[in-house]
Amino acid sequence: MAGQWGKNPWGVYKFPGKMEVEKYVYTPGLHGLEMAKALKEGRIVGTKCGETVYVPPTTLCPDFGEGKVVEVSGPWYVDAYTVIRESLEGEKLEEPVVIALLVPEDAEGGLIHYVKAEPEEVFIGMMVEPVFRPAEERKGTITDIMYFRPVPEGA
Amino acid sequence: MTRAAIVSAGWYGFKPEVGDLSFREMMFEAALRAYAKVGVDPRKDVDAFISCQEDYWEGIAITDEFAPEPVGGVLRPTLTVTGDLIQCLGQAVMLVRTGYFDLVSIEAHAKPSDILTLKGVMDMALDPIYLRPLSPPNPHFLAGIMASSFLARTGLGREALALVVSKNKNAGLDNPRASHASPVTVGDVISADTVVDPLTRYDIAPFSDAAIVMLVGGEEAARKVTDTPVWIEGIGWATESGTGSLAYHSWDSMPSMKMAVEMAKGMAGLSGRPQSFASFAEVEDRYSFMELLALEEAGVADPIEGFRMLEAGDFDPNGFFPVNPSGGSLAAGVSFEVTGGFRVLEAYERLLALGGDLEPGLERALVVSWRGPPTRTSMSVILGV
Repeated sequence: MAGQWGKNPWGVYKFPGKMEVEKYVYTPGLHGLEMAKALKEGRIVGTKCGETVYVPPTTLCPDFGEGKVVEVSGPWYVDAYTVIRESLEGEKLEEPVVIALLVPEDAEGGLIHYVKAEPEEVFIGMMVEPVFRPAEERKGTITDIMYFRPVPEGA
Repeated sequence: MTRAAIVSAGWYGFKPEVGDLSFREMMFEAALRAYAKVGVDPRKDVDAFISCQEDYWEGIAITDEFAPEPVGGVLRPTLTVTGDLIQCLGQAVMLVRTGYFDLVSIEAHAKPSDILTLKGVMDMALDPIYLRPLSPPNPHFLAGIMASSFLARTGLGREALALVVSKNKNAGLDNPRASHASPVTVGDVISADTVVDPLTRYDIAPFSDAAIVMLVGGEEAARKVTDTPVWIEGIGWATESGTGSLAYHSWDSMPSMKMAVEMAKGMAGLSGRPQSFASFAEVEDRYSFMELLALEEAGVADPIEGFRMLEAGDFDPNGFFPVNPSGGSLAAGVSFEVTGGFRVLEAYERLLALGGDLEPGLERALVVSWRGPPTRTSMSVILGV
């Protein structure tokens, strides 16, 4: 990309450029496609290898065997998490964001996703459940899950 | 099989922004210094050149093609490695030990100040199907998850991390490469707001522009060009798995780091705790908690013991077993693929500076590094004089 010479705010000369890396498509693969279909239907699937289910689904089992796609029912729990309060550039976020590794009790692996809860309420081991977008808004991507939320007490 | 040694090292930058030179000129400046110190002509005396780099950090696709010229490697055996300078060092050791290469030049450089959309670049390293679409607002979130998990497992609190920050930021005040050194106190860190829980801006190493070139030689070649070779007694590296399977990682530990250290110790024929064979260590600290985790994985001390030793001053620059006497990444910054090489450079120079003052049996330094998030690649080097 052509550009103009210029100085940055510190007076250092720079020549602008751009890597147009955003124009990619990614092939989800056989099991990724199964996950996409499931997400569109408001479900989450994994791959059953022997007696163990792995999430997200993978075409290859750890023993290089081929697994079987199965639905993951949960419940899910917070295995690890952090609260993001500032951007990389150091600006305070309007609201802190909780992001976590979420693991279904009946499977291994897990998904990294947002948790909609007050930061101080979140803890490792907290039970959560996925909240999907309305069916007509789903696109078969991970953002079909809007977030995970704490499982209401007594549920 | 011949031993391999670092025979010379040159560097340039280690500033938040090197405004006057391009990355290629920084490579040239570092190379010039490395070669001039030992009177080596790269066009005649160097048998191979290895550059450690990654296209996305450069903003140039197939950036390998830019590697040969600034280090004197045009039309000479040159290869590139997508990894940290320590991984280049490993390649150089293997080349030298074949007996076909006497002198090998290795190089890494970084110019993070050229990247206007660092978050975008770092996001590109995330799994494109399951993670990148979430576009977490700060790529340090992975370190936040790791740090929270580490504290949960060990029962340590933020005070332990603040002690690491204060030690390293202050240690760097004596180091010309430590542009981010400052007299930070434990209280400064504890009272600062968190960026990604539990890490404040003090706990997260800033970025620096830097270039390093090292010359690695076999025993005979090393002794020809210098009286002060620093032997690479052991080196190791390991990768757990790629970013497509982040969810499978162990978040509160780093098995690749333990494996890399064991590999280096095995090659060096050493066993036991590093403080039983080395005088000091330069270890991963781009996030404060990583220093304690690295010390655990390296077998120096479990986290609770490490915290106690930290409190007692054992890891201070003048302590029983100095850890990051250079100030580490917290003081010198993160320079992408240079970062592990920076730790090697610090260990190399400190071993030479200490020379005869090193206690017999402890004439070694341990280096432990990580390639940074979202990788799960770790490296270790044991240097000796």
